[in-house]
Order: sequence, then C-alpha cells, then structure tokens
Amino acid sequence: MTPSVGHIWGLDMDLFLQRVFDAITNGSTYALIAVAMVLIFKATTLINFAQGEQAILGAFAVLQLWYWGIPMWGAVILGMLFSAALAAGLERVFIRKFDPADHLPLVIITLGLFLVINAIAAIVWRFDPQSFPELFPSGNAFTYNNVRLSWYSIFAFGSCVLVLVIFQTLLTRTKTGLAFRAVSSNLESSRLSGIKVGPTLQFGWALAAAAGTLGASIYAANPVLQIEPSMMLRALIFSVTAAALGGLDSLWGALIGGLTIGFVQSVVVQYIPFIPNEMSLSAAVVVLLIVLTLRPSGVLGTKAVERV
Amino acid sequence: MLDKLQKSTTPTSERNYQLAKWVCFTIFLLLIAFAYVDVGTISIGSNNYNLSLIRLNKAIAYTIAILGLQVVIGYTGQIALGQSFFFGTGAYVSAWLIADHSWPFLLTLLIVIPSCFLIGMILGLPALRIRGLYLALLTFGLAAVFPSIVKLDKLYGYTGGAGGKLTSNYKFLAPSWLPFDEVAQALQKLPFLGDFFGDGPLSTREESRLWKFILFSILAALCFWLVHNLIHSRPGRAMRAIRDNETSAAVSGVNLALTKTLSFGVASALGGVGGAIYVAEIGIASPDDFSSLVAIYLIVGLVVGGVGTLPGAVIGGLIYALVPDWASSTQSISFVPERWLQGPTGSLILGVLLIVLTLFLPGGIVMGWRKFKNKLLGKELSTAR
Repeated sequence: MTPSVGHIWGLDMDLFLQRVFDAITNGSTYALIAVAMVLIFKATTLINFAQGEQAILGAFAVLQLWYWGIPMWGAVILGMLFSAALAAGLERVFIRKFDPADHLPLVIITLGLFLVINAIAAIVWRFDPQSFPELFPSGNAFTYNNVRLSWYSIFAFGSCVLVLVIFQTLLTRTKTGLAFRAVSSNLESSRLSGIKVGPTLQFGWALAAAAGTLGASIYAANPVLQIEPSMMLRALIFSVTAAALGGLDSLWGALIGGLTIGFVQSVVVQYIPFIPNEMSLSAAVVVLLIVLTLRPSGVLGTKAVERV
Repeated sequence: MLDKLQKSTTPTSERNYQLAKWVCFTIFLLLIAFAYVDVGTISIGSNNYNLSLIRLNKAIAYTIAILGLQVVIGYTGQIALGQSFFFGTGAYVSAWLIADHSWPFLLTLLIVIPSCFLIGMILGLPALRIRGLYLALLTFGLAAVFPSIVKLDKLYGYTGGAGGKLTSNYKFLAPSWLPFDEVAQALQKLPFLGDFFGDGPLSTREESRLWKFILFSILAALCFWLVHNLIHSRPGRAMRAIRDNETSAAVSGVNLALTKTLSFGVASALGGVGGAIYVAEIGIASPDDFSSLVAIYLIVGLVVGGVGTLPGAVIGGLIYALVPDWASSTQSISFVPERWLQGPTGSLILGVLLIVLTLFLPGGIVMGWRKFKNKLLGKELSTAR
C-alpha cells in the first residue's frame, strides 16, 4: 500500500480525487455534445437525435484526413468544417420545410438521420474499433501518490471552456449572433423585423455540428477509448441529460450539466452501495427523469411561459 | 350514439362485402401458412430471401408492439419512443415464467399484460408533466437503459444475464384435433398450384410452426379488435381530442391525466404481448434484442405503415421483420459494390424510408393507398382517420 492523502469520513481520498478528475474528463466531452444540442434547441426548439451520429461521422472524417497525411489539428478543423457544411445542408433539405411547433415529424426525421448516418459510417469505416490519434500531449500533468491528472483531462476541460467562450462571444458580439438570439427568442417577430430566419437557423446547425465534431474527436482521443460507429449512443444519452440538466437553452448550463453528469457517473454511482457500477447509464436517465419532472427548464434555462 | 346510428344504417350489402373481405383475407393467410411451412425462400437473381413462418411470426410480434405505438403516438399524440422497453419487459416476464416455472405460453400472457400495463402507467406518470420533445428524450433514454438493467448481476437469476434466458423447454404442440395433415394433403392435390405446398404429410416441427402462426395471428386479431373498439369508444375519442388540441380537450371535459396514463398503459401492454410472442417464436430472450435500435425500428414501422392507422401496424411489422433480414441476405446486386451490401444495409434502407416517407407521404403507406384509391373512385378523402 502506498501512502495516501488521507481518509476523511472513511473515504479513500486518493480514489475520490481520481474519480473527481475522471468526472471532469468525461463531463467536458459530454458538455461539448450537449452544447451542440443546446444550440439547435435554442434555435429551433428541436432535440436533434442525430447529433451524436453527426459528431461521430465528423470524427471519422477527421481520422480519414489524418490517414491521408494532414496534421492532426488541421484535420480536426477541416473535419469541423466538413460536418458544419453537411449539417447546413441537412437543415436546408430536411428540417426547414417542417413547422417547428409540430414535434413528431421533426423527431422522426432526426431519428431517420440517426439510422442513415450510423449505417453510412459503419459501411464506410466498418464496425471494428480503431485507435484515434492523440490530440493532446500524453502523460500526466500532475501526479501525487496514486492520484493522476492527465494532460488529456486538462485539455479536454480547457477546450470545452474555450468553445463556450467563443460561442458566447459569437452570439453576443456579432451581428449573426444577434440575429440568432432574436430568432431563438421569437421566431415570428424576428421574421417581421427582416431577419432571414432560414439562414440564421442553418448557421446554428452548422455551429452545433462543428462543436459536436470537436466533442466526438476529443472523446475518441481519450487514450482508453477507441473509435467505432456506435460509440456515440451512450454518450448521446449522457449529453442529452447534461443538456436538460443545465437547461436546454443555456450554453453555460451545458457545461454545468456535463460536469454534473460526469460526477454522477464517476463519483456518485461508485459510492452508493445499492447502485451497481454498470448502472451509470440508468443513473443518467434517472437524473433526466427527475430534472424533467421537477424543473423542466433545468438549472440555468429560461422557464417556458405558455399562453393559453 | 352517432356511431351506433351509422352502424345501423350501414347497408347489408356493405356489411356482406366487409365479411367477404375478411373471410378472403383469412383464407389467404392460411394458404400462405401452408405454402411456406417447409421451405420459405424466394430466389431473385443469386440471392435467397427467407419468407418462412419464423419471419412472419416475428412480424406479428412487431405488429402488436407497433399497434401499441399507434395508440400512444398515433391516437394520443404523445411522442413515446421507448416501446422496446416494454417489448423487452413482456419478453423477459414471459421467458421467466416459461423457463423457471414451466408455465404454458398463453397463461404467461395473463401476467405479462397486467404487469406491463401497470409499469406503463407508472412510467407514464411523468408524461403528465413532461410534454413533446422532453417526453421523447426521456422515453428514448428508457429504451437505451433496458439492456443494462437486464444484465444486472442481481437480476441474473431471473434474466440469465448477458447470455439470455432460454425458453426452449416449452414446445408448441399443435392440438391433435386440428386437421393440418388433411388440409396440407388436400392442398397438394390442387391442380397447377399443388407444387407450392410441398410433399407428403407434415412433420411435427412443421405442425408446431403452423400452430404457432395460427395462434399468434389469432392473438394479433384479438389485439386489433380491442384497439379498434378502444379507439371508437369514449376514451378513444378523448385520446384523439388530446392529440388534436390538448387545451381544447381539457376545456371540453376530457380528463387529461386519466386518458394519457390509460393510453400509456394500453401501449405498454401491447408492447408486452408483442415481446412475449417474440420470445415464444425465437426461444430465447437476450438483452441485445431489446436495445434502443429496436425502439427506433419500431418507430420506423409505425411511420412507414402510417401513423394513426390500424392497418399501418401490419405493414410496419412486416417491414421491420423483412427489410433488415432481406437486406443482409442480399449478397450481390450488379452495379452495387459489395462493400455496401455487407454493412448494415437494412438500417440504411429503413432510415431512408423513414425520411422519404416523412417528407413526401406523411400518412405512410396506408394513407397513401387510401388517397390513391379515393382518387380512382373520385371520392373525397374523409379527414377522420
């Protein structure tokens, strides 16, 4: 036994700290996908079930570009551009013609996209897990006894915050961002005041897909994971829960939600004896259930006000 | 009241026509059953497509689950995506009773139906507060967690863990009073068509397969009859009122909470029956047969058949049972690279179908057919569905 940091309330602090770091790592990647969901929800009040698959398609494109000899970060940026362009196209062709208030056709369309994109990724890149190149320096930034904080965790969290800051600036300081916020606050009035609603929403989709691709790339670059077409299904549930927890229309809420879900997955589930380890997915769904029942607007979201 | 009036004014000829239609349909089903009981493949090019009763029985199971979705999505308008959860629950409850307690299949339904109904109602309670997309999210999450619940160590004794629960100890023996052999031999003697019906008397396995098909068809018919009556009764009208406009339904005195939970319960019970039939057909309940992909495929069946149409469930069930299977048995088509045929082509086709139908034919195949028929007959399409 190596000496440990100490025991507080009978907890092994080494293990506890390690799990908190794991929570931050996982939480940041969930938050990135959750940000993508939030952007689309803000714009169209639609939950894109295909978000995870779009993201994994983007990550595969990154991998392919890297195979072709493009440096890693260049490949990531090109992959983000590719998936942004693809998402803009998907929005134009499949989403725009539907009434945003009628949810069923939109849910069905995104489920259809889910199936199609998943199948295409599996046909092109096969189901075999492949290792994804490292995006961040390997090794640990900090080691103390048994507690390790890898560079990967730090960079994953850092890029998540960076993306949020960029998006925040984009939405509050630019004209397109202003239009986007206007559309998400009131679609009809913004159309009347001369905002081109369609292209603005398309912009939101593109931005969301870029964030999703970055998130999936970072997720797949985790040294303990390999990339395969169905890896996003689990992450999708976690991210959706994160988005709902933070409030489906709040960018920073996505980060809070992501970290909370990471925390629930890596820490809470480990310390509650009657929840078996493999139940982390179920724990996320239970959190989702509680949030949606008690406070549908999440922690930071705007409360929906309905006029009858 | 109005319904009764209309029924009594239906002309006798119309009723005879309906009766004749159903009799023809039953005879057609029986002919199919006898024709495909031994060999069940169609060859197109160099590919063999399986059309055995096993596929059709699976289709019946899916049909009943989709019928449940029709109730909750099609008629009540609640976007509940998690039908695979109840499909799986029914399957596992039935498998547990058959395997560990040696219950006969039909008796397990007496437990499956009320338990799924109750679970559905309880899980439907949050739906009273959660609406639209949020409900879709939650139910999708429910579908995603089902396999991991089944694989829990604590439930190993009941569910058999990742390996699944075998139910092969229960054999479907055809009752001896059914004249399967005589019918088969009579059909074989038919001029020209006799070749389709195989040779000689039926083996015990074929008889049990046939018996299963007939039994499941009867169960499905019962479910359809019950749902049809439900839809045209007072609670059914309340459901449709909620679908069309929740606020005005509440204002007109519809009990939203009761009606919604009822429709969740009915949908879940139907999902459970479907699951029980599925497990009775394939003989094992294994966790991956009830993943969230199954939930999405059931939605595909619902949409392709036609949301809010009862016959749509049959078409949807057939499509779910046959398309992925046939896609994977398609080994070669000229001009299509082999790589595209080896992957999950079935899921690609189903996804494309889902998108194309939602874009161009929102009522699914059934509504499309009705429109086409009415155009031919020059009738106005009635808006009631």
